[in-house]
Amino acid sequence: MTISIWRYSHLILAVISSLFILIASVTGAILAFEPISNQLQPFAIEDGNMVSLAEILPTLQQNYDEVFTVEIDKNNFVSTSVITKEGNSETFYINPFTGEKLGEIIKKAPIFEFATNLHRSLFLKTTGRILIGVVSFLLFIIAITGIQLILKRQGGLKRFFSKVVKENFEQYYHVVIGRYTLIPIIIITLTGVFLSLEKFNLLPDSKISHNYPEPTEIDNPLEIDNFTIFQDIKLNDVTSVEFPFSDDIEDYFIIKLKGKELLVNQFSGEVVSNQNTSFVALISNWSLILHTGQGTVIWSIILLIASLAILFFMYSGFAMTLKRRRATSKIKNKFTKDNAEYIILVGSETGHTFNAAKLFYNALIETSQSAYISVLNDYSTYNEAKQLIIFAATYGEGEAPNSASNFKQLFKKVNPQQNIQYAVIGFGSFMYPDYCKYAVEVDLLLRNHEKFDENLPLFKINNQSFEEYKLWINQWNHQNNLDLKIQFKRPKINLKNLKEFRVVNKTKPNIDNSFLVQLRPLKKSKFSSGDLLSVFPEVDFIERQYSIGKIENDILLSIKKHEFGVCSTYFNNLKVNSIVKAKVKRNFDFHFPNTTSEVVMIANGTGIAPFLGMVSDNANKIKTHLFWGGRTKDSLKLYKNIIDEALNEQKLTNFYTAYSQEQKDKIYVQDLILERQELLSQVLDNNGIIMICGSIAMQNRVLEVLNIITTRHLNKALSEFESNSQLKKDCY
Amino acid sequence: MKNIKLVSLFVVLFLSLVSFSTLEESSKYKCMIQMTNYTGEGAYVVISLINPDGEYEETLYVQGDDDEWYNTVESWWNFYGKKRQNIDAITGATISGGQRAITVIDIEDNKIDTGYKLRFETAVENQEYYTTDVEFELTSDNVKTKIEGQGFIRYIRMLPQNN
Repeated sequence: MTISIWRYSHLILAVISSLFILIASVTGAILAFEPISNQLQPFAIEDGNMVSLAEILPTLQQNYDEVFTVEIDKNNFVSTSVITKEGNSETFYINPFTGEKLGEIIKKAPIFEFATNLHRSLFLKTTGRILIGVVSFLLFIIAITGIQLILKRQGGLKRFFSKVVKENFEQYYHVVIGRYTLIPIIIITLTGVFLSLEKFNLLPDSKISHNYPEPTEIDNPLEIDNFTIFQDIKLNDVTSVEFPFSDDIEDYFIIKLKGKELLVNQFSGEVVSNQNTSFVALISNWSLILHTGQGTVIWSIILLIASLAILFFMYSGFAMTLKRRRATSKIKNKFTKDNAEYIILVGSETGHTFNAAKLFYNALIETSQSAYISVLNDYSTYNEAKQLIIFAATYGEGEAPNSASNFKQLFKKVNPQQNIQYAVIGFGSFMYPDYCKYAVEVDLLLRNHEKFDENLPLFKINNQSFEEYKLWINQWNHQNNLDLKIQFKRPKINLKNLKEFRVVNKTKPNIDNSFLVQLRPLKKSKFSSGDLLSVFPEVDFIERQYSIGKIENDILLSIKKHEFGVCSTYFNNLKVNSIVKAKVKRNFDFHFPNTTSEVVMIANGTGIAPFLGMVSDNANKIKTHLFWGGRTKDSLKLYKNIIDEALNEQKLTNFYTAYSQEQKDKIYVQDLILERQELLSQVLDNNGIIMICGSIAMQNRVLEVLNIITTRHLNKALSEFESNSQLKKDCY
Repeated sequence: MKNIKLVSLFVVLFLSLVSFSTLEESSKYKCMIQMTNYTGEGAYVVISLINPDGEYEETLYVQGDDDEWYNTVESWWNFYGKKRQNIDAITGATISGGQRAITVIDIEDNKIDTGYKLRFETAVENQEYYTTDVEFELTSDNVKTKIEGQGFIRYIRMLPQNN
């Protein structure tokens, strides 16, 4: 519920202020170049700010007929306003050592003039200024609610910068860029608000007023280069110096420093008044610097990036909203809730879970079943219902997703009229500590209710994996004697981009129908162990991916032949020297870490391929342990040569095997890991890396065991190591 | 007699020439404008020469170069806005509360002690406008003194340039 409020206000504010924010951020991005271009002007003299007032002031008095002011701007450009020897009143930049003119004062370029005007008042004078001030404040609130949303999504402050689950382009970069630019955006908006308040006199008076003392006659006037105060002050600390208007004793030097202002007697050099700059004035000054980036190129660039980021957020934010609307709005039920046999209820936050549920709904309708789909918040009684299938996402720390916020209360109130079978599918991510927590809760609610009977146990799907979803569909089909076919959209491919590889070697299928294929790229090609080779068999042009083991400069694939497998059959029919067209996809998340203390590799079946490449490439001899699960001892023969060689050359430290078919009790790779739990916990504790490659089922079992180990030995959830990038996975 | 007429004609001619050349003669005055400690935007300040009939004769100085706001200096805008002659003495930024500005203005000598006035008008965005923040008669005494302002100007001080 709370999330909805944050998201709702985040969105509503963004909609209301979008046009103004658009203008302000475009002009802001343009204006970021002004301080940069100013900084690049050649008016800053090296070490010029170390010149003391006792040096520069007399120099100027000699060079010019009369001097009115000296100013040092935020770029360390020194300028002066004088009457020249020719009698002209001029203002220009000077060299602080010689007092000579360097150039005219920089005139604001018309583009910056235009952008400034638009940026602060939209050419609407006072009205515009008020609008911009208010919008700046709204943007500040948007940034705050945005931070709140990231905190909820990531699960707390500690995980603020941990890995973000990628659902789609807009969502991923909205969050990732948001994390880094929210702080600058908050600074920009707060200073913007402050500057607006200042312009409208809404701040306490911050002007300095000096107490002018009774003047006393000076008997022995000093030259100004002998004033101790002038000898002590370097240009570094100075904002401006105003010369006495006349040689009247009541006219003083006014020295404005960073933080205070002095009145200095022009004959004695005595400081007659010393006032500190008020806090409000200091804040104003800092607001101006932070808002405009004056005097610093780096901050200007940050401001530029932040402005561009705001533009991106506007695009990605609205794109996400539209997608979410589209995902949830287009429910066109063929049956009403009271005449459908299958009731599908969805708890979705971002709309992805809804898409998965709709695929299921469509498949049911295709097979002429009566189905009804709705959100969990619409839970009610269903006259004809036999089955209830719940798709539940989890948000933040195990909270109910948006469209299920009311479900628990409703569930207490509604009394089902007949017994209904149920199945719950949880969508979540291993990267969050509360994996599928909401689905677990819903499953428990139903289990404890006398009218509901379990049709299938709770099934959890990690990172919206289609493969896992398919697995569940198969289970469901099997349980209910149906044959639902889920229609997945496949990405389109460009076959022209494929590269050619020559088959160098191919083994015969072994006892498990697994075989090795060694491919050599015809043209130079960049790849590493752990990358993926995409193959598009001509039968259906549907992409299949295999993990690459890099042995010397060849690609080693380990493939299991399936009876009707299009791609595995294709590979099995290959002869040496035939040509394979395929594409290497870099998979940087699954490369061998060359800078870590220790690596544990876990694989089953053909998932060993990338690890074969990695160990034979382990030139630094990083301590490496390989756990492998196969069916029989014969299964290993295929890989034995490579593994023995790696063990001999100490590129592989230990090799542990689990055979599921060799003894009465089945032993799996996760059992091996549980036996060696000290090793695993010690590797994780020493910042070592764990890599997993193989089937999804194996991965899930292994992750569960690993979670037990880390909780038991290190008192931490596995997700902490995962967000620390100590866990690399490549499973299918 | 003829000679006298001729001489007197020459004298008149000579005198008028002399007087014409003295017409052109002008002096420079250093002028400091000290603002009060008001808060808000910088002020637009316009210094104008006012003839004995109380009409604008010449714009001597404009502080503030964003002409979007010139029309807030209403009275002067009625004079200047129609003709828009070029003003030599426009300086950059406006001056805000507590600041001072020093400028050098040129005043023809025959405007002194002849009923001409100097007018300082001030206007601040979203705040008041003062038609005669400072106004005083151009006398040889006044151009050396300090004169208090009525609005955003605390005082102005004038000093003839030495050379």
